[in-house]
Amino acid sequence: MSSTDASGLALRLARIDKRFGELQAVRRGELEVRTRLIHAVVGENGAGKSTLLKIAAGIIAADGGDVWVGGELQASYDARRAQTLGVAMVQQHFALFGSLSALENIMLGAEETRGAGFLDRARGRSRAEGVLASLGVELDLDRKVATFGVGDKQRLEIARALYRDARVVILDEPTAVLTPLESTALYATLRRLADDGRAVVVVTHHLDEVEAHADVVTVMRRGETLGTRAVERGTAAVGLLAAEIVGGEPLPELHAQHEPSARPRVEGQPALVKLEVKGLTLGRALRGVSLEVLAGEIVGVAGVLGNGQSELALVLGGLAVPDDGEVLAGAIEVVHEDRQTAGLVLDATVAENLALGDLTRFTRRGLIDDDALATSARERIARFDIRPPDPGALARALSGGNQQKIVLARALAREPAVLVVAHPTRGVDLVAARAIHQQILAAAARGTAVLVIGADLGELRLLCDRILVMLRGRVVASLPPTADDATLGAAMLGREAAA
Amino acid sequence: MTAPRVGQEAIAVTTALAAAWVAFAVLVWLYGESPLVVARLLFDGTWGTAYGAGQVIFKATPLLCTGVAVFVGLRAGLFNIGGEGQLAIASLAVGIAGHLGFVGALPSFVAVPLLIAVAAVAGGAWALVPAMLRARFGAHEVIGTIMMNRVADSLVGALLGGGLAVAGSVRTADIAPSAHMARLDAVVPALRGSAASTAVFVALVLAVAAAWGFRRTRVGREVVLIGKNPVACEAVHIPVRRRIATALVLSGSAAGLASAGTVLGYKGYFEMGLGAGAGFGGIAVALLGRSSAVGLILAALFFGTLQQGGLAINGHVPREVMNVLEGVVILAVSLSDADVRRTFTRGVVGA
Repeated sequence: MSSTDASGLALRLARIDKRFGELQAVRRGELEVRTRLIHAVVGENGAGKSTLLKIAAGIIAADGGDVWVGGELQASYDARRAQTLGVAMVQQHFALFGSLSALENIMLGAEETRGAGFLDRARGRSRAEGVLASLGVELDLDRKVATFGVGDKQRLEIARALYRDARVVILDEPTAVLTPLESTALYATLRRLADDGRAVVVVTHHLDEVEAHADVVTVMRRGETLGTRAVERGTAAVGLLAAEIVGGEPLPELHAQHEPSARPRVEGQPALVKLEVKGLTLGRALRGVSLEVLAGEIVGVAGVLGNGQSELALVLGGLAVPDDGEVLAGAIEVVHEDRQTAGLVLDATVAENLALGDLTRFTRRGLIDDDALATSARERIARFDIRPPDPGALARALSGGNQQKIVLARALAREPAVLVVAHPTRGVDLVAARAIHQQILAAAARGTAVLVIGADLGELRLLCDRILVMLRGRVVASLPPTADDATLGAAMLGREAAA
Repeated sequence: MTAPRVGQEAIAVTTALAAAWVAFAVLVWLYGESPLVVARLLFDGTWGTAYGAGQVIFKATPLLCTGVAVFVGLRAGLFNIGGEGQLAIASLAVGIAGHLGFVGALPSFVAVPLLIAVAAVAGGAWALVPAMLRARFGAHEVIGTIMMNRVADSLVGALLGGGLAVAGSVRTADIAPSAHMARLDAVVPALRGSAASTAVFVALVLAVAAAWGFRRTRVGREVVLIGKNPVACEAVHIPVRRRIATALVLSGSAAGLASAGTVLGYKGYFEMGLGAGAGFGGIAVALLGRSSAVGLILAALFFGTLQQGGLAINGHVPREVMNVLEGVVILAVSLSDADVRRTFTRGVVGA
């Protein structure tokens, strides 16, 4: 278990190249990861962050370049070798077995055995408990993982890595699915790992996290690593970082681009209720949700993850049938939280995805008119700046931000009375996020009632006229976007705001 | 299809054929025969003569129909393993309908299409049960179609034993002469003696129509998209359950059409066990034939060759060697193909 050399260099990637078909995902990538540090890797969607770190974890093989672990050049490096050397990665989409218990998930593939290969659960359990204690985390080891919330699943993934005695822990966008509170707790855990002598690598889009928690940061752009530097806290360096990521001028504060008050309002628009939800119940997730959204209004739904927001989107999108209550609205279009599952057919083309559910419009006497399909796709690709601008590309080949643009473009093309968007820019880079925000604002300006379901308070403030707070399946507060973090946070937790 | 897909398919097929050849050589060698000599016999007994080629076409005809049946299912993300039952029921229906008095009074150009339609409807109807179970309750179609195979088996036995058969036999009465499909040797005299019939054109049209339908029609395209991600399709209000049920019923119809080659073009009646094995053979055809009409046709001819070749080499090595080869090909294709792996490892969606 060699893991570091004298300088604390735990892992080194040198001149890494990786190509996926047409796409040069990583070009001459360089990365040096040291123990006792939290190392952030930032960049736009499709900048090559995940690819580079999957190479570091042996999950995918590089086309060229060297991988050094613990000061040794690895001649043949794969996931098994990485595990032996103590390099572990927690991926964006968890690799857990929902029908197994937490303990079984932790032990899976690294089981303690005794005698002729019999499972030694007792020893596995005591080791797992030790790992959880060292993480400062409490998890019910006997519970089925399917019943865990997303934050707990993530903690479980980290515990699983440590159970294998990972010395280098890599996390791919770990906070994308977490609330601010959960994110803070996660970084506290990561800090413990670093203090314990491990190396921690975090891929993230949130520069405020970098500023608050990381020790060093590496910027990637278009497959290249632009260098690594120490993070100076409490400086304006984050703005420069943002500029470096997008590779242009220093970005004016994104949020200043469209203050709610500055966005175009529909003059003389009557206060027409376009979405009315009354007493919606669904199992234990929704317990009588009522809300209204007016034409041209953007209403946000905030809340700690798991308080019914996701289910609300499912019901509004017709993917779940409520037990009770009613939804009064014209055509509703929902951009679901999980775009890869509920939004896209990844193995179909961009053109097909843009027309998904609308193929009738491209059908003449029962036959698909592929030319019309491609023409329409090209027009929408241009309008939404979807990259690469190829109607025939598979959706799978696009970055997360561009995939989200497809889903949004499709929803808006149907000119719905009500647009529901869950986590509009989750895992999406700054430039794509701005484009997506502008499309949402433009839709509202055209009179669409918009419901934005999200965990990112900054985003909700930026877009919304009102922010509703959900707690345990109910709407418990309606606040102006000017409400401060303390007020919103208190509402999310069901407490009075601290004075 | 994009370039990497084509590459992947070529690799799957080439690997399968190479594995089959190695298995063939080893098996033949184990029987103390020369693989090259036996391969020569195999060729002579099949493509080496016009008669042999005709016999291959005869064997390939029902396989192509059942192959299309499995292909249609796989496109929708379904595994229709019930071709055996669908074919048996369709064959029985055709055997009975062909004997009806009024059919005998019809001219051939009406009677034949009518019975082909009966075959399609009966095969589809037999698949309707698992289709409804799947659409309504999310019951896995593999379970449903296997179960219906057993039911078909018993039902055919019970009906034939219960008075539908000609006394003292397990076969239906002869169908009307006007309902027979012509032998191919009526058109191509060189094929004289072989059992190939014009039913092969039914199978060819079916294969081309199926591939074309998925590519060009709206419903076909939607079924393909559903096969790739039913959740996303459901989210945009494509009627996923209905489309899946439709695909499974059409798959059953395609399997039922195989009875054109066995009942209408060959025997002229249905007897217990006629066409048995073609349903499962269709799985091999679909896996090897991949996603194009040409591929399916070539795959059906390949397995037809193996079946006919088994007879040709029977004097030297047991013809069961050919069954082994069939298994080797299925295994090799399944192993080397990501699509197949995905279809077979995925749970029921939309349940």
